[in-house]
Amino acid sequence: MTTWSAVASADWRLSTLRVLKVAALLALLVAVPPLADNPFITTVFISALMFGLLGAIYDLMLGYAGLINFGYAGFMAAGAYGSALAWFHYGVNPWFGLLIGGAITAVLGFLTGVISLRIKGLYLALMTFFVGEALRFSISNTPDYTRGMLGLTVAPFPDMLGISFSRSNLLAYYFTLLLLGAVIMMAMWTLVRSKIGVAFKALREDELATESLGLNATHYKLLNFTIASFLTGVIGGFYAHYLGILSPSPEEFGVPRTVEVLTITYVGGRGSLWGSLFAGFLLIGFQEYFRGLGPIRLLLFGILLIIVMLFARRGIAGLKKYVW
Amino acid sequence: MTLEVRDLVVGYVKEVPILRGVTLTAADGLVTVIIGPNGAGKSTLLKTVYGYLKPSRGTVLHDGREIAQIGPKNMLREGIAYLMQGHSVFPRMSVEENLELGVWIFRGNREAKQRAFSEIYQRYPRLAEKRHTLAGSLSGGEQRMLEIARLTMTGPKTLLLDEPSVGLMPKLVDEVYEEIGRLKKRRFTILVVDQNVKKSIEIADYVYVLKLGENSHHGPQAEFKERLPEIIREWL
Amino acid sequence: MDLAMYTDPSVLTEILLQGLVRGSMYALMASGLSLIFGILGVNNFAHGELFMIGSYTMFFIVATLQLPFVAGLVAAALVLFLVGMLIERGLIEQLRKRAGRDWLLDSFVLTIGLMILLQNLALVVFGSNRLGIPEMVSGSLIIGSIIISYERLIILAVAALTVLLLWAFIRFTAPGKAIRATAQNPEAALALGIDTMRVHTYTFGLGAALAGLSGALLISIFPAYPTVGLQPIVKSVAVVILGGLGYVPGAIVAGLLLGVIEAFAYFTMSAGWQNVLTAALVVLIMIFRPYGLFSSAKGERP
Repeated sequence: MTTWSAVASADWRLSTLRVLKVAALLALLVAVPPLADNPFITTVFISALMFGLLGAIYDLMLGYAGLINFGYAGFMAAGAYGSALAWFHYGVNPWFGLLIGGAITAVLGFLTGVISLRIKGLYLALMTFFVGEALRFSISNTPDYTRGMLGLTVAPFPDMLGISFSRSNLLAYYFTLLLLGAVIMMAMWTLVRSKIGVAFKALREDELATESLGLNATHYKLLNFTIASFLTGVIGGFYAHYLGILSPSPEEFGVPRTVEVLTITYVGGRGSLWGSLFAGFLLIGFQEYFRGLGPIRLLLFGILLIIVMLFARRGIAGLKKYVW
Repeated sequence: MTLEVRDLVVGYVKEVPILRGVTLTAADGLVTVIIGPNGAGKSTLLKTVYGYLKPSRGTVLHDGREIAQIGPKNMLREGIAYLMQGHSVFPRMSVEENLELGVWIFRGNREAKQRAFSEIYQRYPRLAEKRHTLAGSLSGGEQRMLEIARLTMTGPKTLLLDEPSVGLMPKLVDEVYEEIGRLKKRRFTILVVDQNVKKSIEIADYVYVLKLGENSHHGPQAEFKERLPEIIREWL
Repeated sequence: MDLAMYTDPSVLTEILLQGLVRGSMYALMASGLSLIFGILGVNNFAHGELFMIGSYTMFFIVATLQLPFVAGLVAAALVLFLVGMLIERGLIEQLRKRAGRDWLLDSFVLTIGLMILLQNLALVVFGSNRLGIPEMVSGSLIIGSIIISYERLIILAVAALTVLLLWAFIRFTAPGKAIRATAQNPEAALALGIDTMRVHTYTFGLGAALAGLSGALLISIFPAYPTVGLQPIVKSVAVVILGGLGYVPGAIVAGLLLGVIEAFAYFTMSAGWQNVLTAALVVLIMIFRPYGLFSSAKGERP
């Protein structure tokens, strides 16, 4: 065998290996919940997957375009309440509600992007923080419409294709989320590998340089934020109909929630969608499974974030070469 | 106090050295000038002498003492003062407060502080007049005077001047160099880096030329005064 | 909303007074944060947790050890001074050595991690019970139809005194000048022999002490419990942005202003909306006057 063909076949072997690994993980995702046949396991998987997706979406903003949304929980609330209220007040079919949640959140994202055009970095984080808080407080201050802190009860998904979506059939919810997640991940993956994705990365590196190259930074900032917001809203809508009850408390839609997602993205590695997905799955899966441990789990979250900031700045994605 | 630099190798990033083995001597009581094209590493040299950068090889000796590792905050005590490139006044503090910080290392010693203050106000009456003005609202030339005055308050023996005339109008450039001339008369050991080759060579006793991080020619001032045009042409 | 109410001077005075009390709380809480941001460039999101530690210290000293209130205040300040220095040396300084160009954002995220850690550490160690102390002094001052509790007046007095001392310290003392010099030009400060690393450490300690003092002082309003820091940090960040990030006098004035604005809002709108108002104000300021209320349009401070 010539050197060239040896290299080529090694390369081929490497990428087949990678495909096999991905397939194996996917197989686990698909097989474990139904095989385990344990509602607790299924809820753990649902939460883990949900937060994995949220982490990846968050990374689309943070890791790829350098936009830090510290009011992210408020955006989740927009999607959740958007879909829930559409059903509650106007009888909208929850399946359609997902799109409504997405649309409302997309508008929120767009508007937020518009008012923060000139703002970057830490200041953007603070600006989005107050936007998120303003939204959350608005929800809790309008109990006549949103039921505020009393809690809004939300219907489950209606049966579809002969499958029951009552909340006792958790597997249905899981696979819906899996399907949704696959579509979302594929969409984001395609986006970041396209020319638009290159523009996002340029935005992250140096906004000034981006402008000088003739790219309209504003344009891409808005695009990124709006898309990410739409996707967040869809997940938010799913969350509403899955959980069945919404309340605008800080733990649900305030700082603690945003910090959870932010930590996932940092631990997973900024700039790596799969890293964030993986980290979210791992961290929230762990947290939900060991629910009995109480605050110690969150304590570990905090420690993890500190460790990542000091010692492992590229997150799990940086450690990839050792394990993957 | 003689300042010596021997075989200095320095870079902001280890793999990319800016200075590649520079050697020079700033003799006691004389004005030594370093000239060279852009990017030669002249400012980097001064920063390293003052401890902002640690050399990966070579030594810096002040009066025979090794000072490369002691760090910038210990330099005034060692007797070396540094005029940074660009603005170095504290803009939102008054002239007097700036001067107070000039004698920071004298804190606790009221007499030394008093003496330093009365001396500085004698020497620089314009600063005395404006003692309560915010340093940031002084003109460019006045700020430079404040910086130079602040430099000398603790009685250092050696001065490092990094681009003392940059950004100033020609008339002010003359004023700054008049001041440097006065410092020369007071027998400070002075090491100057300046883009303004003409003015700096005028007051020099000895001249070093630095190119691409390495020594080029060097010699007493007289040698350089005539050869100036051809030296500069070499750089272009 | 009865507009006639506004022309009643005693109503106005009462609102103003309540606003100033509330504002003095905000000013005290935010001054430490502003100081830390101005000198170290760290938007310390764990500031609320430093407040929390102050609350717990106060409870411990006064309720458990039965010592006088003043002892609690002093203890809280001292404990947080030490804790602050430890945090700066152990975490902030470590990050500084390793950080790239995104210092503002990276240090912010580090403090977020610290916030979660401290909140949940408190939860693990102390549980979620709210540990409160009834007021230091009971009774109220009554002038005409205006009623202000003595407790609030003491809070106002201590906050005002502390803020005044802080201002004097920074403005007139030698260490205060060293702190300002380090903020304005750290390289020049270093060249003059100032130990900028030590300045960072002491300044963080000072900022933390101010947060701890707030927590201790306000314990009759904010009892000690693990997440008590959430409201203070949000208000403090709002105040710091309104006053101009890193500009301590700005934070103090902005704190008072916000207190008064919120008092009026509380009076006219239902309770929850003052938070929306504050948030909206901050967003507006960030759009139109990103350097705070007290900067000129160019963004330079007076």
